[in-house]
Amino acid sequence: MSPLDSLYRDPDTARITLDRPADYLHAEHTLRSWFFTTDHKRIALLYLASITGFFVLGAIAAGLVRLSLVVPNGVIFTNDTYNKLFTMHGVIMVWFFLIPSIPATFGNFLIPLMIGAKDLAFPRLNLLSWYVFMTGALFTMVVLIVGGVDTGWTFYAPFSTTYSNFYVIPALIGVIIVGFSSILTGLNFIVTIHKMRCPGMTWFRMPIFVWTLYATSLIFLLGTPVITLALILLVMERAFHIGVFDPKLGGDPVLFEHLFWFYSHPAVYIMVLPGMGVVTELVAAFSQKRVFGYRFVAYASIGLASITFFVWGHHMFVNGQSQLASTVFSFLSFAVAVPSAVKVYNWTATIHKGAIRLDTPMLYAMGYIGLFVLGGLTGLFLATLAVDAHLHDTYFVVAHFHYIMVGGTMLAFLGGLHYWWPKFTGRMYPEAWGRVGALLIFIGFNVTFFPQFILGYLGMPRRYHVYPPEFQLLNVLSSAGSTILALGYFFPMIYLVWSLWFGKRAPANPWQAKGLEWTTSSPPPAHNFLAIPRVDFEPYDYPIKAPERA
Amino acid sequence: MPDAVTAEAVDIELAEQFVTKEQQRDVGTLGMWAWLVTELLLFAGLFLCALILRIQFPADVTLATTHLKFWIGATNTAVLICSSLTMSGAIVLSRLGWRRGMLGCMLATACLGTLFLVLKGYEYYQDYDENMMPFLARPYALGAHPSTRLFLDIYYVTTGLHGVHLITGVSILLVLTWQASRPRFLQMHQNRIEIYGLYWHFIDLIWIIVFPVLYVLNR
Repeated sequence: MSPLDSLYRDPDTARITLDRPADYLHAEHTLRSWFFTTDHKRIALLYLASITGFFVLGAIAAGLVRLSLVVPNGVIFTNDTYNKLFTMHGVIMVWFFLIPSIPATFGNFLIPLMIGAKDLAFPRLNLLSWYVFMTGALFTMVVLIVGGVDTGWTFYAPFSTTYSNFYVIPALIGVIIVGFSSILTGLNFIVTIHKMRCPGMTWFRMPIFVWTLYATSLIFLLGTPVITLALILLVMERAFHIGVFDPKLGGDPVLFEHLFWFYSHPAVYIMVLPGMGVVTELVAAFSQKRVFGYRFVAYASIGLASITFFVWGHHMFVNGQSQLASTVFSFLSFAVAVPSAVKVYNWTATIHKGAIRLDTPMLYAMGYIGLFVLGGLTGLFLATLAVDAHLHDTYFVVAHFHYIMVGGTMLAFLGGLHYWWPKFTGRMYPEAWGRVGALLIFIGFNVTFFPQFILGYLGMPRRYHVYPPEFQLLNVLSSAGSTILALGYFFPMIYLVWSLWFGKRAPANPWQAKGLEWTTSSPPPAHNFLAIPRVDFEPYDYPIKAPERA
Repeated sequence: MPDAVTAEAVDIELAEQFVTKEQQRDVGTLGMWAWLVTELLLFAGLFLCALILRIQFPADVTLATTHLKFWIGATNTAVLICSSLTMSGAIVLSRLGWRRGMLGCMLATACLGTLFLVLKGYEYYQDYDENMMPFLARPYALGAHPSTRLFLDIYYVTTGLHGVHLITGVSILLVLTWQASRPRFLQMHQNRIEIYGLYWHFIDLIWIIVFPVLYVLNR
């Protein structure tokens, strides 16, 4: 065993990367070297910049929605404007932020590093996927500028095909195109994980993050073509009157919901699974412990990705689906709780008696676990047939999925961003500001969305901006919370950018974490490793007995 | 030894992300298989719709089916199966390193694919002539049976989508044939022929599902 080999097992925590070869950020400086790069790390940063832009747009739309809901009589915006605002919020956040968020940024950056590869299997396809993404984004921006769309992010037919008076077709084309970028990313990841692992990196030596992205990529490959088809059919019907969904043209509107949710329910797991992977990494690193029940967590990822394809009917309990189908879908939806709970219990057991450090990433991870439990359990309420009849299309549903998507995915995204920021940029972020930001986001999130559970339970429907005056107090509370949340988001945006120039230089492994990505310098050289790593140890190879806190 | 060319004489340059040439070859094949899985899912929804429609409205669907041009569909099935045969021939010959034969087989495949498209276009024209296009602003022959509309719409979308794949396939095949006509192509990129072959067989396979599901069942 060469000295280099032992380094992969025990990342040298003190090694400051001074006499390194030019890292990937400094290998070349031209604009061309960024926009025509095939380096997975640079493409990840291209994605990071683009989705951050979309996040800001989507967040502005959300802020305006909350502004409108401060008053019960809906005088702030016209009905059409309000409809366009929540549609833009949904379309941008789901298709242009959440779905590409963790896979296209962290996945792109980290999968090759974590499995000891020099790059993804198809680097040019990877770059293409970013251009495809930006092309889809262009359509959406055009829609935004010329006047918006008012169908909701779900594009339900026949409203979207026949009755909407706005720019449905370009919005649909934008989403269809973005789907292709997802497919290319998923395809690239699957082939990379199968074929590019370094010597000794067996399937069960891969970090859980890689497992969850493998599961996510399966959903990309199997689910995305179905939504592509559904949206193509919408375009066909709206443009050429090839009636598939509008009863007037011989179609069936429930058919659209089936096709739509066959992808869009698994899409929830496109958003959640990578977040679970990130949290697993964070929990292990900040407890300095092996992941409890590693194999079960890995299997649970694949389990979730499989079950999630058989639960789409729970979106249609009250939309004319047969009772038998509803019962079956209800049962299967409950089954999703099993692998989810496996993960939550395993994270908790990993933290138990660990040498816990409450740095910013760990704060986000702990927040994630708590909010994911709340979001998950309220999901069980909604999976119950009788309860869903009461709660369907109310703010309870809105609160539920925001707990999963914001409380889950967004917190995991931010946690991962702080955790790997030193690896991405070679700079540390300011820890104290990080903690304040994390705390603000946690508080702001709960103040925003917890009242919505109560609102929904009391019967306030989603997507309405005129509501009975007795709901005003809770709505104002929710809007007030959203300002705290927005303030919280400003923190990382400002200090992370600040740290690019003024942050402390990062060592190769600032967290004393295990994993191949911490064995290379921060930021890594252009081809990731100076020599191809060889792995002869288990993942999360922390000392069995947790060390005393330093 | 059919694998003589593929395993030994590959003097392609190793791309920078790979460690071995074998890895580089495998990656392309696995990538194409993964792509084909997504393609299958793209069509699967349409097949399922058509089949469920048959169960729900057997009489109307049968009526619509009998108006489809069974013999054109059957001929097209035979044409595509033949094209798969010629494509397999091209792959075998490329492994043997017999370039001229391979190019002939590839051109034959492209011709058969084009023949399919011509026949399909003629079939559409006949459908148009018999007022079998419910989405056009003109009389519709089966207007008295509303659920035939959905079946026919699914028929046009499915065959249209398949046609788009075939047009793409023929275009790529022609480019590939032109590339493969250069002398050192087989030593460098023989696996492109194999990978492309997967795609062509897949288009064929989709039609082999389309034909029974739309034309034959309930007839």
